[in-house]
Amino acid sequence: MARVELRGIVKDYGAVRAIHGIDLEIEDGAFCVFVGPSGCGKSTLLRMIAGLEEISGGDLMIGGERVNDLRAAERGLAMVFQTYALYPHMSVRQNLAFGLENMRMPKDQVAARVAEAARMLKLEPYLDRRPRALSGGQRQRVAIGRAVVREPRVFLFDEPLSNLDAELRVAMRAEIAGLHRRIGNTMIYVTHDQVEAMTMADQIVVLRDGRIEQVGAPIALYNRPANTFVAGFIGSPRMNFLTCTVTARDAEGVTLADVHGRVLRAMVDARTLAEGDTVELGVRPEHLHPDPDGYPVEIENVEQLGGESYLYGRTPDGTALTAHLSGQTGLRRGARAHLAIRPDLAHVFRADGSALPRLRLGELEAAGPGGPVAG
Amino acid sequence: MIGAVRLIYEGAFNLFEGPMRWLQRSLGTQRMVWVFLLPNLLIFGLFTYLPILLNAWYAGTSGDRILLGDRPWVGAANFATLLDCESYLNPNSCRRDLFWRAVHNTGWFVVLQVGFMVLLSLIAALILNRNIPLKGFFRAVFFYPVLLSPVVVALIWKWILQRNGVLNAGLDWAGMGTVNWLLDPNWAFFWIVFVSIWANMGFYVLILLAGLQAIPSDVYEAAEMDGTPAWRRLFRITLPLLTPTLLVVMVLSLIRAVQAFDEIYVLTGGGPGSATLLLIQYIYDVGFATRPRQFGLAAAASLMMAGVLMVLTLAQLAATRKRGEDG
Amino acid sequence: MKHTLTISALALMAAGAAQAQELRFMCYQDGVECEAWADAFATFEAENDGITVIVDEVPYAAIIESLPVQLEVGEGPDLARVTDYGGLARFLLDVRPHVSDAASIDARYGQSLAWSRVGDNAADGIYHIVDQLTATGGFANATLFEQAGVDMPGPGATWDEWAEASRAVRDATGVDFAMAIDRTGHRFAAPAISYGAALFDDDGHALVIDDGFRAFSEQFVGWHADETMARDVWAGAGGGTYQDAAGEFINANLVMYYSGSWQIGRFDRDIGDAFDWVATGGICGPAACTGMPGGAGIVGFNHTQHPEAVAKVMEFIARDDVQAQVLARTRNLPANANLQAEGIAYEGVSDDVAAALTAFASSVPGFSDTAFALQGYQFNRAVYTTIPARITQAIVGELSLDEALERLEQDVADAIAAAQ
Ligand SMILES: Nc1ncnc2c1ncn2[C@@H]1O[C@H](COP(=O)(O)OP(=O)(O)OP(=O)(O)O)[C@@H](O)[C@H]1O
Ligand SMILES: [Mg+2]
Repeated sequence: MARVELRGIVKDYGAVRAIHGIDLEIEDGAFCVFVGPSGCGKSTLLRMIAGLEEISGGDLMIGGERVNDLRAAERGLAMVFQTYALYPHMSVRQNLAFGLENMRMPKDQVAARVAEAARMLKLEPYLDRRPRALSGGQRQRVAIGRAVVREPRVFLFDEPLSNLDAELRVAMRAEIAGLHRRIGNTMIYVTHDQVEAMTMADQIVVLRDGRIEQVGAPIALYNRPANTFVAGFIGSPRMNFLTCTVTARDAEGVTLADVHGRVLRAMVDARTLAEGDTVELGVRPEHLHPDPDGYPVEIENVEQLGGESYLYGRTPDGTALTAHLSGQTGLRRGARAHLAIRPDLAHVFRADGSALPRLRLGELEAAGPGGPVAG
Repeated sequence: MIGAVRLIYEGAFNLFEGPMRWLQRSLGTQRMVWVFLLPNLLIFGLFTYLPILLNAWYAGTSGDRILLGDRPWVGAANFATLLDCESYLNPNSCRRDLFWRAVHNTGWFVVLQVGFMVLLSLIAALILNRNIPLKGFFRAVFFYPVLLSPVVVALIWKWILQRNGVLNAGLDWAGMGTVNWLLDPNWAFFWIVFVSIWANMGFYVLILLAGLQAIPSDVYEAAEMDGTPAWRRLFRITLPLLTPTLLVVMVLSLIRAVQAFDEIYVLTGGGPGSATLLLIQYIYDVGFATRPRQFGLAAAASLMMAGVLMVLTLAQLAATRKRGEDG
Repeated sequence: MKHTLTISALALMAAGAAQAQELRFMCYQDGVECEAWADAFATFEAENDGITVIVDEVPYAAIIESLPVQLEVGEGPDLARVTDYGGLARFLLDVRPHVSDAASIDARYGQSLAWSRVGDNAADGIYHIVDQLTATGGFANATLFEQAGVDMPGPGATWDEWAEASRAVRDATGVDFAMAIDRTGHRFAAPAISYGAALFDDDGHALVIDDGFRAFSEQFVGWHADETMARDVWAGAGGGTYQDAAGEFINANLVMYYSGSWQIGRFDRDIGDAFDWVATGGICGPAACTGMPGGAGIVGFNHTQHPEAVAKVMEFIARDDVQAQVLARTRNLPANANLQAEGIAYEGVSDDVAAALTAFASSVPGFSDTAFALQGYQFNRAVYTTIPARITQAIVGELSLDEALERLEQDVADAIAAAQ
C-alpha cells in the first residue's frame, strides 16, 4: 500500500508533447479515477506510472520513493489491461501463478495465493481452462486475479470494463468496488465512463489535452466544476450554457440578462465581475423545472422513460436546452414549455471559462422533502 | 483508356452472368460446385496427376526409350536394385551405392541444414524484431539472397570459395593458410549446408518475423508487469506463442531441404567424388545426365522420394491446420 | 464430299512437295561450321534444282537433349550435325542405296564410317559424313618450359616423361599446376589404351578392367596424390559432370594440358601473344601412343520424306572439294583420307595454329584400333560418364581403387543392360 505522487510529469513523443507537467497526489488507499475525452492522455499517464512508458520529465514517487528508473515489476504495481492481456497458451492457474513464479516464490505459497484469488473471484471451476475457453467477464476476472495474487502496493486499471456488455459492466463495477473495500489498496483507474467515475472514485482527475483540468471528489466536481470543460464533462446529459451579460451585482449574487433581455439570477460570488461583462450561465438539465414564468423553450424532442423524462428544446435565439424531469410529462414535440432556473442551482463562468465560486449549493436542498423552491 | 478496360471487364462478367444463372438453376447449387472446380481439376489432372501416374508406370519399366510402348515392363526390378543392400548403413554394401550415398548425404543435409537454419532464422528474427538501429537494412540483407536465382547464388559462392577465390585471398592476406574449400569432402559438405542456409534463410526469417509480430504486444506488457526475466520471457512466452509458426517453418524447410538441388549442383556438382551428392541430383544423373538414360531407375527413385515428401507434407498440413485453430 | 476434298488437298500438297523438296538441317557449331555449310549449300542448290536445304542453327544442348526426344516420337529434321552416333544409330538413314559412288565414300571415310555401323545398322551402311575430325592430345606451354630451362619432351615421349618435366617446370616457375586432363572418360581412355587397356572383351563388349586399365588408373590416382594433376578438375565435381581446364592453361597456370584439337581455335583467340604453346602429338605409354579420335558429322534420318534428296546432300558433303573448302574456313581436321594426305590450306591461320593442326592431323594415323572401336561403340557414353564418376571416388578416397574399378565395370554393365 502506498501513496502515489506525480511531480511535473511530462511525456514527449518525439517533438510532440502528450503530457504537459502533471502534479497529482493520490492518497494511500484511495480509489483514483482518470477521466477525460479520448486522446487526452489517460492511458499514457497510467502507463508511465506502471513503468511501461518512459517518463520524459518530472518525478514519480510511490511510497515516498522516486521510482522513475525502476522497472515496472520493481515498482510493486499490478495492472489490469483493457484487452485483459492473458497468456493465451497458459491455463487460468498458470496465468495466475506466472508472476509469482517469476519472483521464485515457493510452490506451496504460490498455490495458496492462487487458490485464495480464485476463491475470491469465483474462478475455481475454470482454473484448468485456457483463456480462449472463457467468457469476457471470466477473462476479466482472471486479469484482475493476476493482479491480485501479486499483492501489489497499487492497482492500475486501464478501461477494464469497456469490452463488457452493460449488465456485466455493472456487476464487475460492483466487484471491483468490493475488492477495493476488502483489500483497501491504492487503485488508479482509467475510464471515460462517467458512471464508473462517479460511482467508484474517491478522487476524480479530469484530464484534457495532457493537462489536469480539476481534481476532486466526485460530488465536489459535480457541484463545483472549476470551468466549463469540467462542468460539461461531469454530469449527464451535459450542462446547458446560456450566454448572458452582467447587469447588476450584489452580495447575494448577480443579475444577468440574456440576449433577449430576459432577467436571470445566480447565487455566485461576483466580486470579480464588472457590469456589462459577458458570461456563461450554466444549469444542469436536472435543475430545470417547469414554471409559467420560466424561460420559453420550443420542444423538439421528448424522451419518456416512465420514471423520468428528458426534454430537448431550443430557446428563441436558438440555443439548445435539455431538461431532465422526474416523473412523466404531458409535453409533446412542437409544444412550448416554460422552464425556470433556480439561482442557487446556477453556475456562472467567466468568458475565459473559469467558474465563479458558488455561494449556495441548491443541490443539498433539492432532495429535501419540501421540493423545489421557486426562485 | 481505363474506362474502356472497365467496360470490357464488366462486359465479360455480364456475358457469363446469364449462362451461369441458367446453369445454377438447372443443376442446383450443390452440383454447381463442380462447374467451378472443373477448370482447376482439368489443369491439375493434366499437369500433376497424369505425370505422377506416368512416373509410376515408368518406374516399372526399363530401357532407354522414351515412349512407354517401347519400354519393357520389369515390375519391381528397379525398386529391388535400389533397395539391394547388405546394410543400409553402409552404401558400399549396396548394389546402387551412389543412391545410398545420396540418401545418406541427403539425410545429413536435411538434419544439419534444417536444424541450423531454423535456429539461425529464429535468432535473426528475434533480433530483427527488436528496435535495433538500421532494422530495415538488416531485414533486407537477410531477405535479398532469397530473390537471387539458385544458380546465381552458387556462382557467387563459387567465386568466393574457389582456389583463387575471395575467401582464400582474404585468408592469405591475413597470413593464414588457404584451404581448397570445395575439394575437401568435409569442407564441401559444410559449405553446401552453409550456402543453402544463406540462400534460404531470409524467407524463414520473414515468416518468423510475421509470427513474432502476430504475438500481441499487451501480452509482453503483462509479462513486464509480472516481472518476467528476459530468458523466461523467451522460453515461456515468445517460443510457446511462436510454436505454430516454428512448426510450419520446420516442415516447409524440411520439404525444401529434401528437394535441394540447383545451388548445390552448380556449386559442387555433387563432388568431390560423391561427398555432396543429394537425392535429386542422383535422380537427374541417372535419368538424364548419363547415357544411356535410365528413366526407369530415376522414376523409381523419385517415387520413393515422393513417399517421403508426402509424409512431410501431411505433417505440414496437420501443423497448419493446428495453427489455424490456435489463431 | 468432304473426304474427297481433303484427299485431293493432300494430294495437291504432296505433289507440291515433290516438286520443291525442302530439307531441314539442324546444326550446331563450335566455330563457324553452320555458316560454312549454309554457304556451301548455295552451290548444292544451284546444282540440284528443286531441293532446298534450310540450316537451323541450335545450341549443342539441343542436339544432345531435344533431338533424341524428337526422333523418338517420329519427328525432327531431315539432317543434323551430331556427335553421338551410337546413341542415335537406330534413327539414322543409310544413304548407300541412293548415292552414285558408294565405294569412293567408303575409300575416303572408311575408318569413321564404322562409328554408326552399330546395333541393327548395316555393317556396310553409310550413315554419316564426318566434317570435323577431332583428336585428343596434349598442349604444352612452351614459354614456361623456356623460363624453367627444362627441355620439353619431344614426339614419342611417354606420360611419365611429361609428368616429370611438367613437375619440374611447375616447381621452377611457381605456377599452380603441372598437368591436367579433362574430366571425361573420353580423354581418360587414350592414356589407358596407351598403358595397354583392351577395353573390350572378345565379343566386343566394354568395359573390361584389365592390367593396362588398372595400371593407368593407379598412375592417375597417384598423380592426384602427389599433386602432379590439378586436383580441381576431377575432384572438383561429382558424377559424370564434364569439366575442362582450358581456363588454367590460357592463364598460364598449367604446364601441360591434355585435351583435344577442338581447343586450337580457342587457344589461338584467347592466348594470342601471351605465351607460346605447342601441341604434343601422341603421348606414349608402354603399349601405344594413341589419342582418341572423335568428331562431329552430318547424318540423315530415316523418317525423312525425301531419302534421295538427303542422299544427294550427303554425297555433296563428302565431296573432296566441298570438304576442303568448308574445312579451310572452319579450321577442322579432315576425316577424308585424300585430304589427310594432301593437307588443307587453312585460311588466315597463325604459325602456332598451323603447327598444332599439323601435329594433331599427323597423330591420327597412329591411333590404335581400340581407340576407334571405343569411339564407334554404341554405349561409349556410358563409359565416358562412368569413368569420371568412379575414378574420382578413388581420387578423393571414398573408395579404394579396387572398389572403384569394380563399381566402374558393374555400372557400365548395368547401363548397357538397362538400355537393351
Ligand atoms: N507512441 C506514441 N507516439 C506518438 N503519440 C502518441 C503515442 N501514444 C500516444 N500518443 C498520443 O498521446 C496522446 C494521449 O494518448 P492516450 O493513449 O494516453 O489517450 P487516452 O486518453 O488513453 O485515449 P483513449 O480514451 O482513446 O484511450 C494522444 O494524442 C496520442 O495520439
Ligand atoms: Mg486509453
